[in-house]
Amino acid sequence: MNKKGVERKFAVVLVAAIICFSLSVNSVQAQDVATGTATATVLTALAVSAAQSLIFGNIYQGVAATIGNNIDASSGIFNILGQGSAGISISFALPQFIALADGSDRMTIGFSSTDATVDSNNTTPATVVAGDGWINVNPNLLPAATVIGAAGQTNVYLGGRIYPAVDQSAGGYSGDIILTVAYNGT
Amino acid sequence: MITKWQICRIPIKGQHLFTGLLIAFFLLIGHVKAGVLVAPTVVFMDEHKRTGRITVQNPSDEPREVTIRMSFGLPTSDSLGNVFVNLQDSGITDIKAATSWVKPFPRKMLLQPGATQVVRFVARPPKDLVDGEYWARVVVTSQEGKTSLPSASAEGQISTVLNMIMQTAIMLKYRQGDQVAHLKLNGVEASQEDTLVNVIVDLSSTGNASYVGMMHCRLYNADKQEIGYRRFDLAVYHDLKRRVTFPIASYTNSGPYSFELFITPDGRKDIAAEYLIRGNDIEYSVTVP
Repeated sequence: MNKKGVERKFAVVLVAAIICFSLSVNSVQAQDVATGTATATVLTALAVSAAQSLIFGNIYQGVAATIGNNIDASSGIFNILGQGSAGISISFALPQFIALADGSDRMTIGFSSTDATVDSNNTTPATVVAGDGWINVNPNLLPAATVIGAAGQTNVYLGGRIYPAVDQSAGGYSGDIILTVAYNGT
Repeated sequence: MITKWQICRIPIKGQHLFTGLLIAFFLLIGHVKAGVLVAPTVVFMDEHKRTGRITVQNPSDEPREVTIRMSFGLPTSDSLGNVFVNLQDSGITDIKAATSWVKPFPRKMLLQPGATQVVRFVARPPKDLVDGEYWARVVVTSQEGKTSLPSASAEGQISTVLNMIMQTAIMLKYRQGDQVAHLKLNGVEASQEDTLVNVIVDLSSTGNASYVGMMHCRLYNADKQEIGYRRFDLAVYHDLKRRVTFPIASYTNSGPYSFELFITPDGRKDIAAEYLIRGNDIEYSVTVP
């Protein structure tokens, strides 16, 4: 490899190292990094992940089951990572029913107007408090003022309840919970 | 040489830069347990460069099924200044929508753990496209690649599985001819309610491109001391009302308060300078009644 090639590789590694150092402080905020003659404007990525599904556990015919949005082991948990303090628009598309794979039976699932919590301080469902974000809000109308936390992460916690009928067919029921995230300042 | 890679401007070749960024991404995603990562958060295309690209990466330990679709959704607001982005997949009537003539490739993929996929966009705009900026949303949907059907652990039991599906909607902007970004301040409503000062800023974009900038808001007490500061990333496509709230419980009886607004295209670090269309500044102040 010629000298120019080595220098170029070194520059890449150097820039990557600087970027990685910035990220290692748990921030994905856009930033300018200057070193020698190389300047990089690294723009923000956006990542949405489901850390945990909404877990109802064992269900019995005729017995409704409720999971709060404040249970570390069973609340639904979404993580949103992006530019710290940036405004985001978030919305749920929630099912009204969950169904057997063959569609032969279905079960009602419901979400109340207090089943969601938005946490901008990266705590947990059980430990989040009002100062961390928006507690017990409507999952069908999440707060318009939602921002990604200053540290680059916001979590959304979701509770809900299911209503098995007394003659509910046994088997495995499934449904989709969709969370959509968009920056509202770009 | 300045690379064409959209999320950086570094005087090195694109492939080396890509390698470097991938290293950075892999370290970043140490913080991500599942889901996919999408970058950049805005895609820019124009009449000279009718292709664009985003990178989708699966940082999780499980395969992810990823689909890409074009949609439409601008930041809009209600009368109270709450800002929303409502995605619209059909019945789009906005003449600035690029949804129908920008196509993503590929549209569906299965990303193995740690895998990265570049998604490209190709624009085929109408021939008589008027100068200006046109918009679409790129919706990246991901879910677990192996959908496990729930099975009851014992006869007669009922079990449930709720598939958590994640959608990331990022903006795509296509620019034709000359673009102008200009913002008009329609009005400011300021009011005091108990321990809060609420301000609604009413804005309209009057250029043929979106106005992108920063909104700085300051609240002063009767002694002209700053007692509150808020800063927002601002993007105005048509009309937008933006609410700003200041808690004043700690400053009771220090009014009358005054609100100061400064909007500028400067200060955005999430968009590379070469993609910013510089619009006008706006300064305004009002006494809170």
